[in-house]
Amino acid sequence: MTPPAFDLRPYLEELERFADGQMTTAEQAAFEIRLEQDAELYQAYQAYEQLTADLRWVAGHETLHQRLLALDRRLDQRQEALTRIRRRQRKTQQQWGGILLVGVLALLGLWLILRPAAPNAEVAWARYYVPEAGLPDDAVNERRRPLLAEAMRQYRDGHYAPALHNLRRVPSSNLGQDTLLYYSGIMLLSQEQPEQIRAAQPFLRRVAMQSASPLAGRARYHLGMAYWRNQQITAARNTLRSVANDPRNPYQDAARQLLRSNALPQE
Amino acid sequence: MNSPQQLAEVLTSLRIGNQSYLIAFYEQNRDLFARWARRQHQLEPAAAHALLRTVLVDFYDQVADGRLTKLPPDVRAYVYGLADEQLRSATTTEILPEDEAGRRQQLLRLFRQLGLDCQKILMYFYFRGYNFEKVAGKMGFANANVARLQKATCLRKLYELRTRTATGNLA
Repeated sequence: MTPPAFDLRPYLEELERFADGQMTTAEQAAFEIRLEQDAELYQAYQAYEQLTADLRWVAGHETLHQRLLALDRRLDQRQEALTRIRRRQRKTQQQWGGILLVGVLALLGLWLILRPAAPNAEVAWARYYVPEAGLPDDAVNERRRPLLAEAMRQYRDGHYAPALHNLRRVPSSNLGQDTLLYYSGIMLLSQEQPEQIRAAQPFLRRVAMQSASPLAGRARYHLGMAYWRNQQITAARNTLRSVANDPRNPYQDAARQLLRSNALPQE
Repeated sequence: MNSPQQLAEVLTSLRIGNQSYLIAFYEQNRDLFARWARRQHQLEPAAAHALLRTVLVDFYDQVADGRLTKLPPDVRAYVYGLADEQLRSATTTEILPEDEAGRRQQLLRLFRQLGLDCQKILMYFYFRGYNFEKVAGKMGFANANVARLQKATCLRKLYELRTRTATGNLA
């Protein structure tokens, strides 16, 4: 570093007053004359000018440095404030999200509790199926048709397989073809096994197609119910609709009730 | 701010002490620069901000000293280059062999040893060009005469600091 070339201290006050324009006109004129005549004063003046030029540079440098620091602090504060706001917004969003989630879960729980129970096939069947009562005793005439009487007794007692076995042993000359087919179908359907239900359908269909038979309408009802039990929904609906539209069919009301309920799914 | 005419205007305004261009530059580029410094030199944001401030002050010094006579066409690229250079070799004006640079850097160090009020008074008077009345207003002094006396005291302090340092170095 270069040491100060000249000790300014004895001259400093006077040089400052001159440089800062603090002298009166007379003082300034006198000072200017002295500057020209006094070599030491002139040297001091040169040193002072260099010092103030350097100081101007330093002041400019430092001003920018401090302004940038102040701006930096301001920008940091702004950034922090923005971060804080964003964090608060996120928190609020999370709170609302949580509330919404709890609401949705509560509604879901409520729906699970209050939703209409899914129709149980067994319950619906028991509710809507009107079973065949079987042939009355006077129509059976036990002395003439003991096997038929036995079959009907077993049918009423719920022993459907033996009842069907005995029914098949009844001579065809002893019983009408449509009656035999009809009760074969009924006894198969009553066993409530998928295979038997499917097996019942051809018997009942054949009777239902015999429009001259008094059992045709009843067979149509049981055929429709066999379709339903076998999940053949369209066939069940169509068959039961024809039963419901037939005023002479003894099962008209039963068919209508089932069609109106939601037990039979819509197409 | 890219046409040659505009660049020349920036240079002129910086030379007469209007630093607003650099202040605006810092405000607009601080975050961008911090991302660049993190990617290129793994600098934390606070360190990157400090580096940008140093580089901008250095840039300003170059203009004020007359070392930079023509503003580069891409000021941002130039500033990034200065930062790169600073990080790689840590060369600053502080170690320039020039007498003037050494003298000014020394004065800067001594200036920072002054009290904050003295620093402000000298900056207001010698850089901002405020008259004593305005300095008094800014500093809360009773009148211009108080401001004049305070300025004189601060200048004397700085000069004495410099004299003491020079004597110490010689001894």
